[in-house]
Amino acid sequence: MIIRCPYCGPRDVIEFTYQGDATRRRPDPASSDQDAWNSYIYDRTNPGGSHREFWLHGGGCRQHLVITRDMTTHAISSVAFARSIVAGESS
Amino acid sequence: MAEPRSPLGKAFVAGDHGNHAAGIGVTLRERKNLSIIQITAWADSIPAVLTAIGSATGLVLQNKPGLGRVAGEKSVFGFAPGRYFVVSATPDLETRLRSAISAELGTMVDLTHGRTVIRIGGPRSEWVISKLFAIDFSEHAFPVAYGRATLHHDIHTNIQRIDDETFDLYVFRTFARSFWLTLGHAAEEVGYRVE
Amino acid sequence: MTSSRLSKGGRIDRSRSIRFLFDGKAYSGHPGDTLASALLANGITLFGRSFKYHRPRGVFAAGSDEPNALVTVLSGDVREPNVRATELEIFDGLVTRSQNRFPSLEHDFLAVNQLAGPLFSAGFYYKTFMGPAIGPLRGTRFWMFCEKFIRRAAGLGKAGTSPDPERYERMNAFCDILVVGSGPGGLIAAEAAAATGARVIIAEERPLAGGSLLASGEMIDGRNPAVWAREKAEALASLPNVRFLTRTSVWGYYDGNVLTAVEHVSDYKPNRTKGLARQRHWVIRTGRVILATGAFERPMVFPGNDRPGVMLADAMRRYAIEYGVATGSAVTLFTNNDSAYDAARALSIGGVNVVAIVDVRPDISGTCRDIASVAGAELLLGHAVTATHAGKTLSSITVQHFNAETGRVSGAPREIRTDSLGVSGGWSPAIHLASQAGGKPEWDEDLQAFLPPEPNQNWVMTGSAAGYMDTISVMSDAATKGSAKSRLVLPAVEAPMLDSSPAPVFEIEPAIKSQKAFVDFQHDVTADDIRLAYREGFHSVEHLKRYTTLGMATDQGKTSNVPGLAIMADVRGISIPQAGTTRFRPPFTPVSLGALAAERHGDLRPHRLTPMHDWHLANGAKTYEAGLWHRPMIYSSHGETIEQAYTREAKAVRDSVGIVDVSTLGKIDIQGPDAAEFLDRVYTNMFSTLPVGKARYGLMLREDGIAFDDGTTWRLGETQFLMTTTTANAGPVMQHLEYYLDCVWPELRVHLTSVTDVWAGSAVSGPKARAVLEGCVTGTKVDNDTLPFMGIVRGKIADVPVMICRLSFSGELAYEVYCGAGYGVHIWEALLAAGKPFAILPYGLEALGTLRIEKGHVTGAEIDGRTTAHDLHLDWMLSKKKPFIGSAMVHREGLKNENRLSLVGLISLDNQSINGGSHIVTDPRPREPADSFGHVTAACYSPALGKYIALALVKHGTSMIGNRAFATDLLRDKHCAVEIVSHHMFDAEGSRMHG
Ligand SMILES: [Zn+2]
Repeated sequence: MIIRCPYCGPRDVIEFTYQGDATRRRPDPASSDQDAWNSYIYDRTNPGGSHREFWLHGGGCRQHLVITRDMTTHAISSVAFARSIVAGESS
Repeated sequence: MAEPRSPLGKAFVAGDHGNHAAGIGVTLRERKNLSIIQITAWADSIPAVLTAIGSATGLVLQNKPGLGRVAGEKSVFGFAPGRYFVVSATPDLETRLRSAISAELGTMVDLTHGRTVIRIGGPRSEWVISKLFAIDFSEHAFPVAYGRATLHHDIHTNIQRIDDETFDLYVFRTFARSFWLTLGHAAEEVGYRVE
Repeated sequence: MTSSRLSKGGRIDRSRSIRFLFDGKAYSGHPGDTLASALLANGITLFGRSFKYHRPRGVFAAGSDEPNALVTVLSGDVREPNVRATELEIFDGLVTRSQNRFPSLEHDFLAVNQLAGPLFSAGFYYKTFMGPAIGPLRGTRFWMFCEKFIRRAAGLGKAGTSPDPERYERMNAFCDILVVGSGPGGLIAAEAAAATGARVIIAEERPLAGGSLLASGEMIDGRNPAVWAREKAEALASLPNVRFLTRTSVWGYYDGNVLTAVEHVSDYKPNRTKGLARQRHWVIRTGRVILATGAFERPMVFPGNDRPGVMLADAMRRYAIEYGVATGSAVTLFTNNDSAYDAARALSIGGVNVVAIVDVRPDISGTCRDIASVAGAELLLGHAVTATHAGKTLSSITVQHFNAETGRVSGAPREIRTDSLGVSGGWSPAIHLASQAGGKPEWDEDLQAFLPPEPNQNWVMTGSAAGYMDTISVMSDAATKGSAKSRLVLPAVEAPMLDSSPAPVFEIEPAIKSQKAFVDFQHDVTADDIRLAYREGFHSVEHLKRYTTLGMATDQGKTSNVPGLAIMADVRGISIPQAGTTRFRPPFTPVSLGALAAERHGDLRPHRLTPMHDWHLANGAKTYEAGLWHRPMIYSSHGETIEQAYTREAKAVRDSVGIVDVSTLGKIDIQGPDAAEFLDRVYTNMFSTLPVGKARYGLMLREDGIAFDDGTTWRLGETQFLMTTTTANAGPVMQHLEYYLDCVWPELRVHLTSVTDVWAGSAVSGPKARAVLEGCVTGTKVDNDTLPFMGIVRGKIADVPVMICRLSFSGELAYEVYCGAGYGVHIWEALLAAGKPFAILPYGLEALGTLRIEKGHVTGAEIDGRTTAHDLHLDWMLSKKKPFIGSAMVHREGLKNENRLSLVGLISLDNQSINGGSHIVTDPRPREPADSFGHVTAACYSPALGKYIALALVKHGTSMIGNRAFATDLLRDKHCAVEIVSHHMFDAEGSRMHG
């Protein structure tokens, strides 16, 4: 599998580390809502088809990426820096 | 002050090695006494940091992934968003950069002791390093002066292309001897000279 | 015994001879020969014994599809089994041996297996050896009894046991277009692609380019097709944008257009230059793939079809045209399609005597009739071969009337004398790589074959692999596949007009069968095995494959796949596409483990060495691996045991002073205006309150509240910190911090850099530690006021700048001295010199461990991914003033349950050492491990206490203190009476390090 890092260009998947589901949102740090934390930490939907995930380009620019990947074909439809995506969504 | 010690130790053996009867395919050497400064710009100050690097070193860069410049012993290249290596044999490099890069622009880390710089040159250098790194070394994919960050198994490496057949490999110091031996092994086929 | 070298022909160099050994006997061949062609030229037709029945087998194909002629290649003590004789190029001194025979190929003791035929039929292993014993000769116990015998009897070559001294290497390649195969399709496609300026790699599995052209009777541009191919290949190879790889088999097709190939760089050479690899493992990333992989001829399934002397018609042609070898003196052909006539034509041009052509079809074209008559071969239309006969090799075949519509055999048998029978059951496009890349192959009624699926990656197929069965249409398709805008002028091809559509006949099944009809030669699967599998309920192709092992041998069913499916479809009364096919998986051809390992053999991992590594070795250090690091375990003196050595070293630290290399600790530079805020979030305790020039011990949790890592973090400036992590967790902690900055708190202005390699660290510990520093540090004082506990100063040692932090892992007065890694040895030696008056000793990890066990400090053995801060008595570090990673989950009821394991100390009561990993039990000799209520995480002899001690995680830990128990190691049968004590076993008040 090849991932096209927006900085480094196409690289082998071995340079990357899967860092989990990118659709979940961390609860307010001060929140004591156990259900919310529980779902953040443990619940994963594992959908067939398109999915958003974090990958760390640890073997390259060391940036986290948000990758949209088809879980059945491994086809990657979009790659972007996690920082800009997360910052964009929380602002 | 004492001379810093090379991590290559006894693994560094000057002379010709491998299948050198048919010629020397690559030449390997360790670049010593360099200052290696890593500069990281805040996301909103990359152009300002590039200007500051330019004023401190005379090497002017545009904001484009992997772009770099080489002038003699001096070089600069990017290998991650807003992150650059500035390398020079002049000892006052850090001071000059520190006065140019304020905390508002970004941060600096002196990695001089943390990296070992191996220069590989010669007609077969692309062939030899292609055994170790899964990146495209052809000149149109990796132009002269550009930088890359990649790895050989567990060994992170920053690579800058110096000219069509010369590359500087920046490896983590504690891995340097292991990497040097691997590189020499890979170069035996084409014959190599250690300088 | 009548295969022989023809007087002319073949692309072998008859002017030179090569000597090689097969089963201990010397033979000679010529450059250009494979082992198969050279042995055939020497009249050898028996190559091996079959997998289950030990039937004599000859060579069946001429390439990578060979199921029978597998040999073992010997080179000194190294043996490589299961090498296809049809691909093995001979060289002077080559030593080969046939396989699966005992004691010899001619007289095989285990050929009696044939008499026990039904015993070894489909599902034999499952039925006989699985499950409980019902009757005496059944069940798993019976398997254990039979295993040795069966393992000897069944199987292929034996794997070697000696280390392989050969060199293998990996090569990474990038291109715009990869062309797999260099037959007429591959060459034309590559030429068209290269003309666009694209970077092209062509991979050809054989030594020469040309594919089918190498054995074709056609003319191209009025010339020999093989010559045309050679010149075309040379022209392509000379282009700057083309890399032409021969002897390179592309065996895997992975996601993202990544393909893997093995190049046989030098294994066909008797003498190799220094540094040259035997095989090179290519990993090719390409924009587009053109699969010009050709097609495999299929056998017909009929009784006696595995007899030596029976082979594929195309193989027979290739031996004649490519190697100048006649496979027999009176050759017959048996076919259901026209391609056998093309073979007959080439054979007779090459000087081989074709006596008869048996064709299942009642009628054939005029072209075919003409070929048969020119070749002088008798035509037997509407006939089939129903048996074969032999002494040592094939002597005759039985032919009967055959109705292709009904599949019925009738009429009187007629015997035809022949010593070599070529069979053709049609052609199967080599769609293996396309199938690996995904997608379901599609059945083509006309070709009676599976064609490549719709691409779901960027590839196209051309040539016979795409179903084009004549050279003219192959070339015109290939040109457009190479480049849609191709303007290549295609060469003129002179070839007979043949029909590519075979009769849909796969098996000849006479009413009375006296001989087995094989489908999968390599795994000895017969047509009857498939029918048996069906009767026993294994209907889907996936089940059929696993139950009968059809297509699961090293040839991956290249010859057997379609005939097997056809027979299954027939018994089920459905069509072949309804029966479906299995997906091909890598590798296309067997790949040696050496090639996959490439440069990674022996020592699999790089060695990570501290700046002082050479000093350690020169001064008696025995090292061991800690992750990738090599670290001193002890510095041994003569005749000392490990325990004596570390006891001596640890005692020196408690009594006077010691020095240890701590350069391996993970070190992360953390800078930015939000650095302090960031640390408050990732550590359980406060860091924003830490003054500049001071360090603090910190604990990190995972998000779920489990302890993650600990270490000290030093505040070097208002906005700059140096974090240290445990050696093992340096990478994971960095990743953890990066994750939160990138994915959770992108608003924080913080930069992280690993500086582990920048600093060499030497920890000086013991009551005399300060005196040592006073003796060598300049530019700063190191007294208790200037450098209090957890204080940091900068100064110089031996003229080199250092940073000194006073912190203690040993529980003694101690300092960590950091300097630029290049000066590591310099500073280390300066500290040793300054420590000489105090008899300073370097100490290794064993002593380091002993000191920390005495103190009850935790490491990765206790922070094991299951323990919490409470379990480790670190709950005092959980700030209540701020949220931190894990703060929401750490107070969950389950994580505070009294039943959890918590940290305690153990003291051996019987003066015996305690084994690490021992279980804590109440019964000295428990029968069941279930009695365990804890385990030992670390153990040592404590010189400070004069006892064997340990740290352990024990249920109800704290309330167990004062109780007695046993530490029991069932594996090593070691049982030790212990007292459970506080984990603070030495200097619980910590007065020594504050001194
Ligand atoms: Zn990257």
